Amino acid sequence: MTDSYDAIVVGAGPAGSAAAYVMAQNKMSVALLERGQYPGSKTMFGGTIFREPMEQLVPAFWQEAPLERPVVTDMLWFMDHDSAVNVGFTGLRYAKEPYNKFTCQRSLFDQWLANKAVQAGAELRTSTLVKGLLYDQGVLGRKNKRRVTGVVLDNGEQLAADVVILAEGVNAYLTKEAGLRSNIPPHAMTFYVEEIFAMAPEKIEDRFQLEPGEGATIGMVGFPTAGGVGKGGLFTYNEHVALIVGGYVNHLVNQGHSPYELLQRTKAHPLVRRMLSGAKTVQYKAQMIPKGGYTFIPKLYLGGLLVTGDAAVMISGRRGTDLAALTGLYAAETAVLAKAKGDFSARTMANYMRKVNNSFFMKDIKGAKNSLTYYKEHPDSDFLIAGLFNDVAYEFFKVEMSTEKEKKDKIMRIISDKQMPLKTARDLYEGYQHWGAY
Amino acid sequence: MAQFNSEEDPLRFLQINQDNRSHISIKDEQKCREKCDNKPCTFICPSEVFNWDWEEEEISFKYQRCIECGVCAIACPQANIFLEYPRGGYGVQYKY
Repeated sequence: MTDSYDAIVVGAGPAGSAAAYVMAQNKMSVALLERGQYPGSKTMFGGTIFREPMEQLVPAFWQEAPLERPVVTDMLWFMDHDSAVNVGFTGLRYAKEPYNKFTCQRSLFDQWLANKAVQAGAELRTSTLVKGLLYDQGVLGRKNKRRVTGVVLDNGEQLAADVVILAEGVNAYLTKEAGLRSNIPPHAMTFYVEEIFAMAPEKIEDRFQLEPGEGATIGMVGFPTAGGVGKGGLFTYNEHVALIVGGYVNHLVNQGHSPYELLQRTKAHPLVRRMLSGAKTVQYKAQMIPKGGYTFIPKLYLGGLLVTGDAAVMISGRRGTDLAALTGLYAAETAVLAKAKGDFSARTMANYMRKVNNSFFMKDIKGAKNSLTYYKEHPDSDFLIAGLFNDVAYEFFKVEMSTEKEKKDKIMRIISDKQMPLKTARDLYEGYQHWGAY
Repeated sequence: MAQFNSEEDPLRFLQINQDNRSHISIKDEQKCREKCDNKPCTFICPSEVFNWDWEEEEISFKYQRCIECGVCAIACPQANIFLEYPRGGYGVQYKY
């Protein structure tokens, strides 16, 4: 006897749980399958939950979701080995409703969102790995690879559904099996490691200059990635601080960097060390993020199949968790429509691809498709810019026995000696699109 | 090239429910020996699953250390690492 549902969702991250929640709200029977022992048990997150997009899913979610701190301060540090040029903004308007964004621990947040789906009527099955897809056998018994009818679990059990929504994350084994996504090359993939430290709330607030309950993030460019393009980041939770470091996989490979070593090196930087001193490590994590962009976005549907979130390469700049939830929402809306029509064919599923293509984030993803090529060819951009900023700042702030004119000339010389000024300008332009706050 | 000694091993900050069967395999060990110069899997892996034995010229791996990020398969210049997820409920269970 095969269990049968209106919809099966693979993966209880933000995309999967969002899809399951919306479908269950619309009275569809939904199985939400999670391979971990609980939702969030396999996830790493260096970042913040954005208020406006998440509210499309759960209005006023901050009143019930396990969030850490509303972010009032975003800093960006351009770092050299013993200095940093800081750019930042503190806006206290963000400390109160309607808020802007929140730091959060996804291991807790994902459990909450999956539980919303369960409360709406979805059936959550944890410790459940999907090994493959089931396809329509047709009258002649020949597999029709264009029409999905269910999934096979790792214990051999089969589950049938009118629609399967893949929210399986970055590795996307099933999306690949369905022939929708090819392997993403290393220059279109980033890789981050994270360490989470326990720290008393008062200490966090002291060090990051916050009032009780307020949050801050610090992005770090230059030093943390030791020559490649990538980033470091510090995030304030209630009683924890997270440090992440990482960058493009091809840069890490070509430069022979161990991400773990980069993390240790960043931790030891004199300006980072003073933020973390005395804090005890409680968790270490690692995760890839597909930076693939427009070129690598797969076809997002087949008959009876929709692909969402990281599996669908739905990343734009620093946005990922919110785009996952939004694509989950769009997929669910398409499934609800298909159920009303009684038609789960590819033609109806294509409605989802239209929704995604018309979204604001798809415009951004299309617009940014050249960045990837730029960073593939210029792995040193971030490092040169950060180095230049610090050299100039050291000179600018230095008090000397010289005229203003001599000082200005000296600074201009530092700029032109670093590299071709035109290249610096281009690095800055590309950087602008890729730095920003978390 | 073991960089994690026991005091530094980040695995002490991880909870891993170890499966008794491997979810990792090397497709063709000959390729590691003959076609791969700098063995990226041995340094890019965040939990040091892979090890290259210079004496025996042999790749080995401890799947029990894996935290399922998938970077090894992307970084391998020979696309020589077969990786799938451990069975449901096994593998890393992050608490934070």
